[in-house]
Amino acid sequence: MTAPLPIKIAAHDFRVFHGQEESLRGITLNIPANRILGVIGPSGSGKTTFLRALNRLNDLAPETRINGQVLLDGQDIYAPSFNVVTLRKRVGMLFALPVALPMSIFENVVYGPRLSGVRNRKRLDEIVETSLKAAFLWDEVRDRLTMSGLRLSGGQQQRLCLARVLAMEELEVILLDEPCSGLDPISTAKIEEALTILKAKYTIILVTNNTKQAARVADETAFFLMGDMVEYGATDKIFTVPDDKRTNDYVTGRFG
Amino acid sequence: MRIPPKYTQALAVTVLGAATVFTVVVLVFIIVFVLSKGLPGINWEFLFSAPKDMGRAGGIFPTLVGTVLLPLMAIAIALPLGVGTAVYLTEYTRETRLTQVLRFGTDCLAGIPSILFGLFGFIFFVVMLKMGWCLLSGGLTLAIMVLPTIIRTSEEAIRAVPNSYREVSFSLGATRWETVLKVVLPNALPGIVTGVMLGIGRSIGETAAVIFTAGSALRMPASAFDSVRTMSVHFYILAREGISNEKAYATAAVLIISVLLVNLAAYSTMHRFIARRSR
Repeated sequence: MTAPLPIKIAAHDFRVFHGQEESLRGITLNIPANRILGVIGPSGSGKTTFLRALNRLNDLAPETRINGQVLLDGQDIYAPSFNVVTLRKRVGMLFALPVALPMSIFENVVYGPRLSGVRNRKRLDEIVETSLKAAFLWDEVRDRLTMSGLRLSGGQQQRLCLARVLAMEELEVILLDEPCSGLDPISTAKIEEALTILKAKYTIILVTNNTKQAARVADETAFFLMGDMVEYGATDKIFTVPDDKRTNDYVTGRFG
Repeated sequence: MRIPPKYTQALAVTVLGAATVFTVVVLVFIIVFVLSKGLPGINWEFLFSAPKDMGRAGGIFPTLVGTVLLPLMAIAIALPLGVGTAVYLTEYTRETRLTQVLRFGTDCLAGIPSILFGLFGFIFFVVMLKMGWCLLSGGLTLAIMVLPTIIRTSEEAIRAVPNSYREVSFSLGATRWETVLKVVLPNALPGIVTGVMLGIGRSIGETAAVIFTAGSALRMPASAFDSVRTMSVHFYILAREGISNEKAYATAAVLIISVLLVNLAAYSTMHRFIARRSR
């Protein structure tokens, strides 16, 4: 690494407890801006817990407690003064299973902007077009924006979900939770292509079970195992000469 | 001894089929019986003129109006309260001892005989609050009576909305209230409508609670503080006091047809709503 990259998100000894169980055991990690961070690890390693903590979706689970800090642009997102609604508009999330809301494609995309008070029809039209184009879905749905989002295929729905996240004007960080786990190779390729373009504007954190995907698109990669972050570094290094034997075993497919 | 699978299959089809046929036959028999006795007595004059001589002659127009107004008033009161309670119980509270007690309470309330609601309405609204026998007393009493049904069906409908929808909404920066308004309620609507339909059905058919609270005046109500008679009460009085069997059956036939129409209207509206959302 040459010049130090500006830090977008910083976690300091961050812990998450689900009831008695410690799901994240003190993660300390600086995530640079305008990069794609790949988070890999076997299931149950805490990848998703970490991701959901970054826009405080873990708050919704009654038994969850946290310890430590997560800073977004230097501000503690778990501080009582930090507005969680604003946080979620700045830090968008794409889930493993595409969930199109049961409303039209258009209404799906403008869900966020409408909440932020955008009323102007022309402005909404623009948002829909730019977001769908950025998600590589515009050409497939431009003539049927009033159709229900539920009638799209799985791959199209996931791109619709991406467009819905991109439509938020306050967006700075995109979290992706195994976004391609249920998708065909072509839809996967489209999402990956979108991500490599989007990192110019956003910071992207991609949790994936597919190590090859991390190797393809991530600039840096973090390897999680049983609630610990075992190793973090440039993707090339993690996949070729990792420091830790466990990382090596995982990326070469010896377990996981 | 185990019955061989191919016989259990045949047995199941026979038993379940017989149960269905029995239910439908009884239902159809009642409807056909009432309609065949009542339809000959129905004409425009019967529907739209005032009763004469305690209902021995003339029509049923005031009771028709009462049958429309009373359930409407009951639902207008019970719907916001019921849906509000259901939203609160499902979206705003965690499962605690208190919510369990509340739920148990509503379930018990749903099973109480309607005459007790009538008695309560009579003592509380009619006598204590000095409202007298009137549309409002009846509407309030019926509202309390159908509230448990509306709460429980709405609650079930709200619970059936996939959690992933809520998660998506929250992740896009919606508050809980915005999520309820934009995602939860629209998707729970068919279930809520079902609850409302059950409530309307119960209030239209109710006699005991209505006689005690709304009275049984045969005049046309001029305000919410006038006594009204619904068709069910009219039917009850005509039959009970042997005033006119012919008019009683005609009233019953109108009652059945109205209930069918209300149901049809509600279902077609709902289907159009669902179709519009999934086009």
